[in-house]
Amino acid sequence: MSLLPRKARNRVAPYLLALPAALLACVFIFGVANGVAQGFGIMPFLDMHTPTLEYYEQVFAREDLLSSLLYSLYLALVSSLIALVGGVALSYVLVKAKAGRVARLAALQVPIMTMHALVAMAVMFAFSGSGLVARLLHLVGLVATPSDFPSATGATSGWGIILVYIWKEIPYLAFCTVSLMRHISESLGEAARTCGADARQAFLQVTLPLCAGAILRAFLVVFVFALGSYEVPFLLGPTAPKTLPVLAFIEFQDPDIVNRCYSMALNGTTTLLCSLATIVYFASIALRDRRQAGGVHA
Amino acid sequence: MRSEKRGRPSPQGTNGPRGSKAPKVTFWARIYLAVHLVLVLIPIAIVATWSVSASWPWPSLAPASLTTRGFETVLADSSTGLGSLWLSIGIAIACAAFTTCVATLGARAICLHTWRGRRLFEFATMLPFLIPGTVFAMGVQVAFIRLGLARSVGGVILAHSIVALPYAMNIMCDVTRAAGRRMEEASLTCGAGRFATLVHATLPGLAPGIASSLLMCYILSFSQYFLTLLIGGGAVRTFALVLFPYLGGGDRTIAGAYGIVFIAVTLTVFLAFELLIHKLRAVEETAYYES
Repeated sequence: MSLLPRKARNRVAPYLLALPAALLACVFIFGVANGVAQGFGIMPFLDMHTPTLEYYEQVFAREDLLSSLLYSLYLALVSSLIALVGGVALSYVLVKAKAGRVARLAALQVPIMTMHALVAMAVMFAFSGSGLVARLLHLVGLVATPSDFPSATGATSGWGIILVYIWKEIPYLAFCTVSLMRHISESLGEAARTCGADARQAFLQVTLPLCAGAILRAFLVVFVFALGSYEVPFLLGPTAPKTLPVLAFIEFQDPDIVNRCYSMALNGTTTLLCSLATIVYFASIALRDRRQAGGVHA
Repeated sequence: MRSEKRGRPSPQGTNGPRGSKAPKVTFWARIYLAVHLVLVLIPIAIVATWSVSASWPWPSLAPASLTTRGFETVLADSSTGLGSLWLSIGIAIACAAFTTCVATLGARAICLHTWRGRRLFEFATMLPFLIPGTVFAMGVQVAFIRLGLARSVGGVILAHSIVALPYAMNIMCDVTRAAGRRMEEASLTCGAGRFATLVHATLPGLAPGIASSLLMCYILSFSQYFLTLLIGGGAVRTFALVLFPYLGGGDRTIAGAYGIVFIAVTLTVFLAFELLIHKLRAVEETAYYES
Protein backbone atom coordinates (compact mmCIF):
# COMPACT_ATOMS: atom_id res chain seq x y z
CA MET A 1 0.00 0.00 0.00
CA SER A 2 2.89 2.34 0.68
CA LEU A 3 3.73 2.04 -2.99
CA LEU A 4 0.64 4.06 -3.85
CA PRO A 5 0.78 7.84 -3.79
CA ARG A 6 -0.79 9.44 -0.76
CA LYS A 7 -3.84 10.78 -2.54
CA ALA A 8 -4.77 7.43 -4.06
CA ARG A 9 -4.21 5.79 -0.70
CA ASN A 10 -6.67 8.16 0.94
CA ARG A 11 -9.23 7.39 -1.72
CA VAL A 12 -8.88 3.64 -1.35
CA ALA A 13 -8.63 3.66 2.44
CA PRO A 14 -12.37 3.86 3.31
CA TYR A 15 -13.19 1.01 0.96
CA LEU A 16 -10.53 -1.19 2.52
CA LEU A 17 -11.73 -0.27 6.01
CA ALA A 18 -15.33 -1.04 5.09
CA LEU A 19 -14.55 -4.28 3.28
CA PRO A 20 -14.70 -6.81 6.16
CA ALA A 21 -17.97 -5.42 7.54
CA ALA A 22 -19.38 -5.19 4.02
CA LEU A 23 -18.58 -8.86 3.49
CA LEU A 24 -20.40 -9.82 6.69
CA ALA A 25 -23.37 -7.68 5.64
CA CYS A 26 -23.32 -9.40 2.25
CA VAL A 27 -23.52 -12.84 3.86
CA PHE A 28 -26.52 -11.58 5.81
CA ILE A 29 -28.20 -10.17 2.72
CA PHE A 30 -27.38 -13.35 0.83
CA GLY A 31 -28.96 -15.47 3.56
CA VAL A 32 -32.15 -13.44 3.64
CA ALA A 33 -32.35 -13.23 -0.17
CA ASN A 34 -31.79 -16.96 -0.40
CA GLY A 35 -34.70 -17.54 1.96
CA VAL A 36 -36.94 -15.12 0.10
CA ALA A 37 -36.06 -16.82 -3.20
CA GLN A 38 -36.91 -20.21 -1.74
CA GLY A 39 -40.28 -18.79 -0.77
CA PHE A 40 -40.84 -18.16 -4.47
CA GLY A 41 -39.91 -21.75 -5.20
CA ILE A 42 -36.36 -21.10 -6.36
CA MET A 43 -34.10 -23.84 -5.04
CA PRO A 44 -31.11 -24.22 -7.34
CA PHE A 45 -29.77 -27.17 -5.39
CA LEU A 46 -32.95 -29.07 -6.21
CA ASP A 47 -33.00 -27.84 -9.81
CA MET A 48 -35.98 -25.62 -9.14
CA HIS A 49 -35.42 -22.42 -11.04
CA THR A 50 -38.82 -21.07 -12.04
CA PRO A 51 -40.27 -18.47 -9.71
CA THR A 52 -43.80 -19.23 -8.58
CA LEU A 53 -46.33 -17.70 -6.23
CA GLU A 54 -47.71 -21.12 -5.43
CA TYR A 55 -46.22 -21.32 -1.95
CA TYR A 56 -47.36 -17.87 -0.93
CA GLU A 57 -50.83 -18.70 -2.22
CA GLN A 58 -50.89 -21.92 -0.23
CA VAL A 59 -49.54 -20.21 2.86
CA PHE A 60 -52.12 -17.45 2.64
CA ALA A 61 -54.84 -20.02 2.11
CA ARG A 62 -54.00 -21.63 5.44
CA GLU A 63 -56.70 -21.15 8.00
CA ASP A 64 -54.22 -20.45 10.77
CA LEU A 65 -52.15 -17.92 8.86
CA LEU A 66 -54.17 -14.83 9.61
CA SER A 67 -54.44 -15.67 13.29
CA SER A 68 -50.69 -16.42 13.41
CA LEU A 69 -49.86 -13.17 11.69
CA LEU A 70 -52.11 -11.13 13.94
CA TYR A 71 -50.86 -12.95 17.01
CA SER A 72 -47.22 -12.24 16.12
CA LEU A 73 -48.00 -8.60 15.45
CA TYR A 74 -50.01 -8.32 18.66
CA LEU A 75 -47.23 -9.80 20.81
CA ALA A 76 -44.53 -7.67 19.17
CA LEU A 77 -46.55 -4.48 19.28
CA VAL A 78 -47.80 -4.79 22.86
CA SER A 79 -44.44 -5.83 24.28
CA SER A 80 -42.45 -3.19 22.43
CA LEU A 81 -44.94 -0.43 23.28
CA ILE A 82 -44.75 -1.34 26.95
CA ALA A 83 -40.96 -1.48 26.61
CA LEU A 84 -41.02 1.95 24.99
CA VAL A 85 -42.95 3.59 27.82
CA GLY A 86 -41.19 1.61 30.54
CA GLY A 87 -37.77 2.16 28.99
CA VAL A 88 -38.20 5.92 28.75
CA ALA A 89 -39.49 5.97 32.34
CA LEU A 90 -36.56 3.89 33.56
CA SER A 91 -34.12 6.05 31.68
CA TYR A 92 -35.67 9.18 33.23
CA VAL A 93 -35.58 7.60 36.67
CA LEU A 94 -31.92 6.65 36.28
CA VAL A 95 -31.08 10.22 35.37
CA LYS A 96 -33.16 11.73 38.18
CA ALA A 97 -32.14 9.25 40.88
CA LYS A 98 -28.50 10.14 40.28
CA ALA A 99 -28.02 6.40 40.47
CA GLY A 100 -24.61 5.03 41.30
CA ARG A 101 -22.65 2.77 39.04
CA VAL A 102 -23.67 -0.45 40.75
CA ALA A 103 -27.38 0.35 40.67
CA ARG A 104 -27.17 1.39 37.04
CA LEU A 105 -25.37 -1.77 36.05
CA ALA A 106 -27.73 -4.03 37.99
CA ALA A 107 -30.78 -2.27 36.58
CA LEU A 108 -29.72 -2.37 32.95
CA GLN A 109 -27.02 -4.92 32.35
CA VAL A 110 -28.33 -7.90 34.29
CA PRO A 111 -31.48 -8.15 32.14
CA ILE A 112 -29.54 -7.44 28.93
CA MET A 113 -27.11 -10.26 29.52
CA THR A 114 -29.67 -12.86 30.61
CA MET A 115 -30.74 -15.14 27.79
CA HIS A 116 -34.40 -14.77 26.73
CA ALA A 117 -35.07 -18.46 27.21
CA LEU A 118 -33.86 -18.31 30.81
CA VAL A 119 -36.29 -15.52 31.54
CA ALA A 120 -39.00 -17.65 29.98
CA MET A 121 -38.04 -20.40 32.40
CA ALA A 122 -38.26 -18.00 35.34
CA VAL A 123 -41.72 -16.91 34.17
CA MET A 124 -42.71 -20.57 34.06
CA PHE A 125 -41.42 -21.15 37.58
CA ALA A 126 -43.28 -18.09 38.83
CA PHE A 127 -46.51 -18.07 36.85
CA SER A 128 -47.32 -21.62 35.80
CA GLY A 129 -50.23 -23.43 37.41
CA SER A 130 -48.04 -24.81 40.18
CA GLY A 131 -45.72 -21.79 40.17
CA LEU A 132 -44.76 -19.56 43.03
CA VAL A 133 -47.51 -16.99 42.49
CA ALA A 134 -50.17 -19.70 42.41
CA ARG A 135 -48.74 -21.03 45.68
CA LEU A 136 -48.91 -17.59 47.25
CA LEU A 137 -52.52 -17.26 46.15
CA HIS A 138 -53.20 -20.71 47.57
CA LEU A 139 -51.85 -19.48 50.88
CA VAL A 140 -54.42 -16.70 50.99
CA GLY A 141 -57.09 -19.09 49.77
CA LEU A 142 -57.66 -17.73 46.28
CA VAL A 143 -56.42 -20.78 44.43
CA ALA A 144 -57.30 -24.32 45.49
CA THR A 145 -55.45 -26.47 42.96
CA PRO A 146 -52.81 -25.68 40.28
CA SER A 147 -55.44 -25.91 37.55
CA ASP A 148 -57.35 -22.98 39.10
CA PHE A 149 -54.55 -20.55 38.34
CA PRO A 150 -54.49 -18.89 34.89
CA SER A 151 -51.09 -20.25 33.89
CA ALA A 152 -48.73 -18.05 31.88
CA THR A 153 -47.58 -20.99 29.80
CA GLY A 154 -49.79 -21.68 26.85
CA ALA A 155 -52.11 -18.74 27.58
CA THR A 156 -53.70 -17.45 24.40
CA SER A 157 -53.33 -13.89 25.60
CA GLY A 158 -49.58 -14.49 25.61
CA TRP A 159 -49.05 -12.48 28.78
CA GLY A 160 -46.17 -14.73 29.81
CA ILE A 161 -44.40 -14.03 26.52
CA ILE A 162 -45.01 -10.31 26.87
CA LEU A 163 -43.69 -10.45 30.43
CA VAL A 164 -40.43 -12.02 29.23
CA TYR A 165 -40.00 -9.44 26.49
CA ILE A 166 -40.64 -6.45 28.69
CA TRP A 167 -38.35 -7.77 31.43
CA LYS A 168 -35.61 -7.89 28.81
CA GLU A 169 -36.45 -4.91 26.62
CA ILE A 170 -37.35 -2.16 29.10
CA PRO A 171 -33.75 -2.16 30.35
CA TYR A 172 -32.46 -2.48 26.77
CA LEU A 173 -34.42 0.57 25.69
CA ALA A 174 -33.23 2.49 28.73
CA PHE A 175 -29.67 1.34 27.99
CA CYS A 176 -29.94 2.80 24.48
CA THR A 177 -31.24 6.16 25.67
CA VAL A 178 -29.90 6.83 29.16
CA SER A 179 -26.54 8.40 28.34
CA LEU A 180 -28.07 10.69 25.71
CA MET A 181 -30.91 11.61 28.06
CA ARG A 182 -28.53 12.39 30.90
CA HIS A 183 -26.45 14.56 28.61
CA ILE A 184 -29.44 16.52 27.27
CA SER A 185 -31.18 16.78 30.61
CA GLU A 186 -28.03 18.24 32.18
CA SER A 187 -27.37 20.72 29.41
CA LEU A 188 -30.48 21.82 27.50
CA GLY A 189 -32.98 20.56 30.06
CA GLU A 190 -31.31 22.65 32.73
CA ALA A 191 -31.22 25.60 30.35
CA ALA A 192 -34.97 25.28 29.85
CA ARG A 193 -35.44 25.21 33.61
CA THR A 194 -33.35 28.35 33.95
CA CYS A 195 -35.56 30.00 31.33
CA GLY A 196 -38.59 29.29 33.49
CA ALA A 197 -39.89 25.94 32.24
CA ASP A 198 -41.14 23.62 34.97
CA ALA A 199 -39.73 20.10 35.27
CA ARG A 200 -42.54 18.60 33.21
CA GLN A 201 -42.19 21.10 30.39
CA ALA A 202 -38.41 20.73 30.38
CA PHE A 203 -38.75 16.96 30.05
CA LEU A 204 -41.67 16.78 27.63
CA GLN A 205 -40.73 19.69 25.38
CA VAL A 206 -36.94 19.65 25.43
CA THR A 207 -35.35 16.43 26.66
CA LEU A 208 -37.84 13.93 25.23
CA PRO A 209 -38.03 15.34 21.67
CA LEU A 210 -34.25 15.46 21.48
CA CYS A 211 -34.01 11.83 22.57
CA ALA A 212 -36.77 10.77 20.18
CA GLY A 213 -34.37 9.54 17.49
CA ALA A 214 -32.55 7.17 19.81
CA ILE A 215 -35.81 6.04 21.41
CA LEU A 216 -37.51 5.31 18.08
CA ARG A 217 -34.50 3.42 16.85
CA ALA A 218 -34.38 1.23 19.96
CA PHE A 219 -38.13 0.70 19.66
CA LEU A 220 -37.71 -0.57 16.10
CA VAL A 221 -34.95 -2.98 17.14
CA VAL A 222 -37.08 -4.32 19.98
CA PHE A 223 -40.19 -4.62 17.79
CA VAL A 224 -38.35 -6.54 15.06
CA PHE A 225 -36.76 -8.78 17.64
CA ALA A 226 -40.06 -9.63 19.30
CA LEU A 227 -41.69 -10.22 15.92
CA GLY A 228 -39.00 -12.58 14.70
CA SER A 229 -37.76 -14.46 17.71
CA TYR A 230 -38.40 -18.14 18.15
CA GLU A 231 -37.39 -19.21 21.65
CA VAL A 232 -39.88 -17.40 23.85
CA PRO A 233 -43.11 -18.14 21.95
CA PHE A 234 -41.89 -21.71 21.48
CA LEU A 235 -41.47 -22.16 25.23
CA LEU A 236 -44.45 -20.18 26.48
CA GLY A 237 -46.84 -19.91 23.54
CA PRO A 238 -50.18 -21.67 23.15
CA THR A 239 -50.71 -24.56 20.71
CA ALA A 240 -52.81 -22.22 18.59
CA PRO A 241 -52.26 -19.62 17.33
CA LYS A 242 -48.53 -20.04 16.87
CA THR A 243 -46.31 -17.10 16.01
CA LEU A 244 -44.93 -16.85 12.48
CA PRO A 245 -41.34 -17.88 13.34
CA VAL A 246 -42.57 -20.93 15.29
CA LEU A 247 -44.84 -21.91 12.40
CA ALA A 248 -41.99 -21.37 9.93
CA PHE A 249 -39.60 -23.53 11.92
CA ILE A 250 -42.13 -26.37 12.14
CA GLU A 251 -42.43 -26.35 8.34
CA PHE A 252 -38.66 -25.99 8.05
CA GLN A 253 -38.06 -29.17 10.02
CA ASP A 254 -40.30 -31.26 7.77
CA PRO A 255 -38.29 -34.14 6.28
CA ASP A 256 -39.55 -33.20 2.81
CA ILE A 257 -37.17 -30.47 1.74
CA VAL A 258 -39.63 -28.90 -0.71
CA ASN A 259 -41.68 -28.08 2.35
CA ARG A 260 -39.09 -25.43 3.08
CA CYS A 261 -40.71 -23.28 0.44
CA TYR A 262 -43.73 -22.87 2.76
CA SER A 263 -41.42 -22.11 5.60
CA MET A 264 -39.67 -19.45 3.55
CA ALA A 265 -42.97 -17.98 2.40
CA LEU A 266 -43.84 -17.58 6.09
CA ASN A 267 -40.43 -16.00 6.69
CA GLY A 268 -41.04 -13.76 3.71
CA THR A 269 -44.23 -12.58 5.38
CA THR A 270 -42.31 -11.83 8.59
CA THR A 271 -39.67 -9.96 6.56
CA LEU A 272 -42.40 -7.96 4.87
CA LEU A 273 -43.83 -6.91 8.24
CA CYS A 274 -40.35 -5.92 9.43
CA SER A 275 -39.74 -3.95 6.25
CA LEU A 276 -43.01 -2.10 6.77
CA ALA A 277 -41.92 -1.27 10.31
CA THR A 278 -38.58 -0.02 8.96
CA ILE A 279 -40.31 2.15 6.37
CA VAL A 280 -42.57 3.63 9.03
CA TYR A 281 -39.47 4.30 11.13
CA PHE A 282 -37.59 6.10 8.35
CA ALA A 283 -40.70 8.01 7.35
CA SER A 284 -41.25 9.23 10.88
CA ILE A 285 -37.57 10.23 11.19
CA ALA A 286 -37.82 12.17 7.93
CA LEU A 287 -41.07 13.80 9.05
CA ARG A 288 -39.53 14.80 12.37
CA ASP A 289 -36.45 16.22 10.67
CA ARG A 290 -38.57 18.23 8.28
CA ARG A 291 -40.76 19.51 11.07
CA GLN A 292 -37.73 20.50 13.10
CA ALA A 293 -36.10 22.20 10.15
CA GLY A 294 -39.41 24.01 9.51
CA GLY A 295 -39.56 25.05 13.13
CA VAL A 296 -36.10 26.56 12.93
CA HIS A 297 -36.95 28.55 9.82
CA ALA A 298 -40.28 29.80 11.07
CA MET B 1 -33.11 -5.98 48.63
CA ARG B 2 -30.13 -3.95 47.59
CA SER B 3 -31.26 -0.62 48.88
CA GLU B 4 -28.02 -0.02 50.83
CA LYS B 5 -26.07 -0.05 47.59
CA ARG B 6 -28.58 1.99 45.69
CA GLY B 7 -28.71 4.65 48.35
CA ARG B 8 -25.07 5.53 47.85
CA PRO B 9 -24.61 8.74 45.88
CA SER B 10 -23.03 8.59 42.47
CA PRO B 11 -19.25 8.22 42.83
CA GLN B 12 -18.60 10.48 39.90
CA GLY B 13 -21.02 13.11 41.15
CA THR B 14 -22.27 13.57 37.60
CA ASN B 15 -23.50 17.10 37.97
CA GLY B 16 -22.15 18.26 41.26
CA PRO B 17 -23.94 18.58 44.59
CA ARG B 18 -27.14 20.15 43.33
CA GLY B 19 -29.41 17.36 44.54
CA SER B 20 -31.06 19.65 47.06
CA LYS B 21 -32.83 21.45 44.20
CA ALA B 22 -35.36 18.69 43.63
CA PRO B 23 -35.01 16.18 46.44
CA LYS B 24 -38.59 15.00 45.94
CA VAL B 25 -37.98 13.90 42.36
CA THR B 26 -34.77 12.19 43.38
CA PHE B 27 -36.57 10.40 46.22
CA TRP B 28 -39.37 9.01 44.03
CA ALA B 29 -36.91 8.14 41.30
CA ARG B 30 -34.96 6.11 43.82
CA ILE B 31 -38.08 4.31 45.01
CA TYR B 32 -38.94 3.47 41.39
CA LEU B 33 -35.40 2.26 40.80
CA ALA B 34 -35.52 0.10 43.92
CA VAL B 35 -38.75 -1.53 42.74
CA HIS B 36 -37.19 -2.09 39.33
CA LEU B 37 -34.13 -3.71 40.89
CA VAL B 38 -36.30 -6.04 42.96
CA LEU B 39 -38.25 -7.03 39.83
CA VAL B 40 -34.96 -7.71 38.05
CA LEU B 41 -33.65 -9.87 40.86
CA ILE B 42 -36.80 -11.89 41.67
CA PRO B 43 -36.69 -14.16 38.58
CA ILE B 44 -33.03 -14.88 39.17
CA ALA B 45 -33.73 -15.69 42.81
CA ILE B 46 -36.51 -18.11 41.80
CA VAL B 47 -34.25 -19.88 39.31
CA ALA B 48 -31.48 -20.04 41.92
CA THR B 49 -33.84 -21.63 44.43
CA TRP B 50 -34.98 -24.26 41.94
CA SER B 51 -31.36 -25.06 41.04
CA VAL B 52 -30.70 -26.45 44.51
CA SER B 53 -34.08 -27.92 45.39
CA ALA B 54 -34.43 -31.68 45.38
CA SER B 55 -38.17 -31.57 45.83
CA TRP B 56 -40.53 -28.64 46.05
CA PRO B 57 -44.06 -30.01 46.07
CA TRP B 58 -47.25 -27.98 45.72
CA PRO B 59 -48.23 -25.86 47.59
CA SER B 60 -45.22 -25.19 49.82
CA LEU B 61 -43.38 -21.91 49.37
CA ALA B 62 -39.94 -23.33 50.07
CA PRO B 63 -38.21 -26.44 48.78
CA ALA B 64 -38.72 -29.53 50.92
CA SER B 65 -35.15 -30.73 50.49
CA LEU B 66 -31.99 -29.47 48.87
CA THR B 67 -29.51 -31.07 46.51
CA THR B 68 -26.37 -30.30 44.52
CA ARG B 69 -27.47 -32.71 41.79
CA GLY B 70 -28.19 -29.92 39.30
CA PHE B 71 -24.79 -28.31 39.59
CA GLU B 72 -23.10 -31.73 39.52
CA THR B 73 -24.75 -32.37 36.16
CA VAL B 74 -23.93 -28.96 34.73
CA LEU B 75 -20.35 -28.87 35.95
CA ALA B 76 -19.63 -32.51 35.07
CA ASP B 77 -16.65 -33.10 32.87
CA SER B 78 -18.73 -34.06 29.84
CA SER B 79 -19.76 -32.67 26.46
CA THR B 80 -23.09 -31.54 27.94
CA GLY B 81 -21.43 -30.10 31.03
CA LEU B 82 -18.17 -28.21 31.25
CA GLY B 83 -17.28 -29.21 27.69
CA SER B 84 -20.17 -27.19 26.26
CA LEU B 85 -19.43 -24.34 28.62
CA TRP B 86 -15.82 -24.03 27.44
CA LEU B 87 -16.90 -24.36 23.83
CA SER B 88 -19.42 -21.55 24.28
CA ILE B 89 -16.89 -19.31 25.98
CA GLY B 90 -14.39 -19.99 23.18
CA ILE B 91 -16.93 -19.24 20.45
CA ALA B 92 -18.10 -16.09 22.23
CA ILE B 93 -14.53 -14.80 22.66
CA ALA B 94 -13.72 -15.49 19.01
CA CYS B 95 -16.94 -13.81 17.87
CA ALA B 96 -16.33 -10.81 20.12
CA ALA B 97 -12.75 -10.34 18.92
CA PHE B 98 -13.60 -10.80 15.25
CA THR B 99 -16.72 -8.64 15.20
CA THR B 100 -15.07 -5.87 17.17
CA CYS B 101 -12.09 -5.75 14.78
CA VAL B 102 -14.41 -5.63 11.79
CA ALA B 103 -16.61 -2.97 13.39
CA THR B 104 -13.62 -0.85 14.45
CA LEU B 105 -12.47 -0.66 10.85
CA GLY B 106 -15.99 -0.20 9.48
CA ALA B 107 -16.74 2.60 11.94
CA ARG B 108 -13.62 4.47 10.81
CA ALA B 109 -14.81 4.19 7.22
CA ILE B 110 -18.18 5.66 8.18
CA CYS B 111 -17.11 8.35 10.64
CA LEU B 112 -13.76 9.60 9.36
CA HIS B 113 -14.04 9.34 5.59
CA THR B 114 -16.38 10.65 2.93
CA TRP B 115 -16.82 8.24 0.08
CA ARG B 116 -19.34 7.06 -2.42
CA GLY B 117 -21.53 4.29 -1.01
CA ARG B 118 -21.03 5.27 2.60
CA ARG B 119 -24.73 5.61 3.41
CA LEU B 120 -25.49 2.31 1.71
CA PHE B 121 -22.72 0.61 3.67
CA GLU B 122 -24.02 2.07 6.92
CA PHE B 123 -27.53 0.84 6.16
CA ALA B 124 -26.30 -2.62 5.14
CA THR B 125 -24.45 -3.13 8.41
CA MET B 126 -27.64 -2.23 10.30
CA LEU B 127 -29.76 -4.78 8.42
CA PRO B 128 -29.47 -7.50 11.09
CA PHE B 129 -31.37 -5.08 13.34
CA LEU B 130 -34.16 -4.79 10.79
CA ILE B 131 -34.66 -8.38 9.71
CA PRO B 132 -35.01 -11.10 12.35
CA GLY B 133 -32.21 -13.57 12.92
CA THR B 134 -34.60 -16.49 12.45
CA VAL B 135 -35.26 -15.44 8.86
CA PHE B 136 -31.53 -15.15 8.19
CA ALA B 137 -30.75 -18.47 9.89
CA MET B 138 -33.31 -20.51 7.94
CA GLY B 139 -32.42 -18.79 4.69
CA VAL B 140 -28.67 -19.16 4.92
CA GLN B 141 -28.59 -22.71 6.26
CA VAL B 142 -28.44 -24.43 2.87
CA ALA B 143 -25.71 -22.09 1.69
CA PHE B 144 -23.64 -22.79 4.80
CA ILE B 145 -24.04 -26.53 4.24
CA ARG B 146 -22.88 -26.20 0.65
CA LEU B 147 -19.91 -24.05 1.61
CA GLY B 148 -18.91 -26.60 4.23
CA LEU B 149 -19.41 -24.06 6.98
CA ALA B 150 -22.38 -25.79 8.61
CA ARG B 151 -21.77 -28.10 11.54
CA SER B 152 -18.45 -26.37 12.19
CA VAL B 153 -17.29 -24.06 14.95
CA GLY B 154 -15.98 -21.61 12.35
CA GLY B 155 -19.38 -21.38 10.69
CA VAL B 156 -21.09 -20.74 14.01
CA ILE B 157 -18.60 -17.98 14.87
CA LEU B 158 -19.19 -16.38 11.46
CA ALA B 159 -22.98 -16.53 11.87
CA HIS B 160 -22.84 -15.07 15.38
CA SER B 161 -20.56 -12.29 14.14
CA ILE B 162 -23.04 -11.28 11.47
CA VAL B 163 -25.86 -10.93 13.98
CA ALA B 164 -23.59 -9.05 16.41
CA LEU B 165 -22.31 -6.67 13.73
CA PRO B 166 -24.90 -3.85 14.09
CA TYR B 167 -24.48 -3.74 17.86
CA ALA B 168 -20.70 -3.49 17.50
CA MET B 169 -20.97 -0.92 14.69
CA ASN B 170 -23.25 1.27 16.81
CA ILE B 171 -20.86 1.27 19.73
CA MET B 172 -17.74 1.78 17.61
CA CYS B 173 -19.31 4.59 15.57
CA ASP B 174 -20.18 6.47 18.75
CA VAL B 175 -16.68 6.20 20.15
CA THR B 176 -14.93 6.87 16.82
CA ARG B 177 -16.98 10.01 16.32
CA ALA B 178 -16.21 11.14 19.86
CA ALA B 179 -12.48 10.45 19.60
CA GLY B 180 -12.17 12.05 16.16
CA ARG B 181 -8.76 12.49 14.65
CA ARG B 182 -7.24 15.09 16.94
CA MET B 183 -4.95 12.76 18.86
CA GLU B 184 -3.74 10.96 15.74
CA GLU B 185 -3.00 14.17 13.91
CA ALA B 186 -1.20 15.60 16.93
CA SER B 187 0.84 12.44 17.21
CA LEU B 188 1.75 12.45 13.52
CA THR B 189 2.59 16.14 13.60
CA CYS B 190 4.93 15.55 16.50
CA GLY B 191 6.80 13.09 14.36
CA ALA B 192 5.53 9.78 15.73
CA GLY B 193 5.53 6.89 13.26
CA ARG B 194 2.33 5.31 12.02
CA PHE B 195 2.66 2.32 14.30
CA ALA B 196 3.42 4.45 17.34
CA THR B 197 0.42 6.61 16.48
CA LEU B 198 -1.81 3.55 16.25
CA VAL B 199 -0.64 2.17 19.58
CA HIS B 200 -0.36 5.39 21.56
CA ALA B 201 -3.00 7.66 20.04
CA THR B 202 -5.67 5.80 18.05
CA LEU B 203 -6.25 2.68 20.15
CA PRO B 204 -6.27 4.38 23.58
CA GLY B 205 -8.93 6.79 22.31
CA LEU B 206 -11.09 3.91 21.12
CA ALA B 207 -10.37 1.60 24.05
CA PRO B 208 -13.57 2.10 26.09
CA GLY B 209 -15.66 1.52 22.98
CA ILE B 210 -13.66 -1.54 22.03
CA ALA B 211 -14.20 -2.98 25.48
CA SER B 212 -17.99 -2.37 25.40
CA SER B 213 -18.22 -3.80 21.91
CA LEU B 214 -16.31 -6.92 22.98
CA LEU B 215 -18.67 -7.32 25.89
CA MET B 216 -21.84 -6.84 23.82
CA CYS B 217 -20.71 -9.34 21.17
CA TYR B 218 -19.66 -11.81 23.84
CA ILE B 219 -23.11 -11.66 25.45
CA LEU B 220 -24.90 -11.96 22.09
CA SER B 221 -22.88 -14.97 21.04
CA PHE B 222 -23.08 -16.67 24.41
CA SER B 223 -26.88 -16.48 24.54
CA GLN B 224 -27.51 -17.40 20.89
CA TYR B 225 -29.71 -20.46 20.53
CA PHE B 226 -31.60 -20.59 17.25
CA LEU B 227 -28.74 -19.57 14.99
CA THR B 228 -26.38 -22.06 16.63
CA LEU B 229 -28.97 -24.80 16.27
CA LEU B 230 -29.38 -24.22 12.54
CA ILE B 231 -25.81 -23.48 11.55
CA GLY B 232 -24.18 -25.88 13.99
CA GLY B 233 -26.69 -28.55 13.03
CA GLY B 234 -26.50 -30.07 16.50
CA ALA B 235 -22.81 -30.87 15.97
CA VAL B 236 -21.66 -27.69 17.71
CA ARG B 237 -23.15 -28.13 21.16
CA THR B 238 -22.85 -24.82 22.89
CA PHE B 239 -24.05 -24.19 26.42
CA ALA B 240 -27.22 -22.44 25.24
CA LEU B 241 -27.98 -25.39 22.98
CA VAL B 242 -27.53 -27.93 25.77
CA LEU B 243 -29.58 -26.04 28.32
CA PHE B 244 -32.51 -25.19 26.04
CA PRO B 245 -34.28 -28.59 26.08
CA TYR B 246 -34.31 -28.51 29.88
CA LEU B 247 -36.19 -25.21 29.92
CA GLY B 248 -39.37 -26.47 28.32
CA GLY B 249 -40.19 -28.61 31.30
CA GLY B 250 -38.95 -31.79 32.82
CA ASP B 251 -36.13 -31.52 35.29
CA ARG B 252 -36.41 -28.13 36.95
CA THR B 253 -33.41 -28.69 39.20
CA ILE B 254 -31.06 -29.21 36.27
CA ALA B 255 -32.71 -26.43 34.26
CA GLY B 256 -32.25 -24.06 37.19
CA ALA B 257 -28.62 -25.07 37.62
CA TYR B 258 -27.92 -24.44 33.93
CA GLY B 259 -29.56 -21.06 34.27
CA ILE B 260 -27.54 -20.06 37.30
CA VAL B 261 -24.23 -21.20 35.78
CA PHE B 262 -25.13 -19.25 32.62
CA ILE B 263 -25.83 -16.09 34.59
CA ALA B 264 -22.76 -16.56 36.82
CA VAL B 265 -20.41 -16.98 33.86
CA THR B 266 -21.81 -13.98 31.98
CA LEU B 267 -21.76 -11.88 35.11
CA THR B 268 -18.11 -12.75 35.77
CA VAL B 269 -17.09 -11.85 32.23
CA PHE B 270 -19.21 -8.72 32.48
CA LEU B 271 -17.66 -7.53 35.73
CA ALA B 272 -14.16 -8.19 34.39
CA PHE B 273 -14.94 -6.07 31.34
CA GLU B 274 -16.61 -3.33 33.39
CA LEU B 275 -13.48 -3.10 35.50
CA LEU B 276 -11.43 -2.87 32.33
CA ILE B 277 -13.66 -0.17 30.82
CA HIS B 278 -13.55 1.77 34.07
CA LYS B 279 -9.75 1.59 34.13
CA LEU B 280 -9.49 2.57 30.46
CA ARG B 281 -11.76 5.58 30.97
CA ALA B 282 -9.67 6.66 33.96
CA VAL B 283 -6.45 6.29 31.96
CA GLU B 284 -7.96 8.26 29.11
CA GLU B 285 -9.12 11.05 31.38
CA THR B 286 -5.73 11.44 33.07
CA ALA B 287 -4.12 11.45 29.64
CA TYR B 288 -6.34 14.40 28.69
CA TYR B 289 -5.56 16.29 31.85
CA GLU B 290 -1.83 15.78 31.44
CA SER B 291 -1.78 16.95 27.87
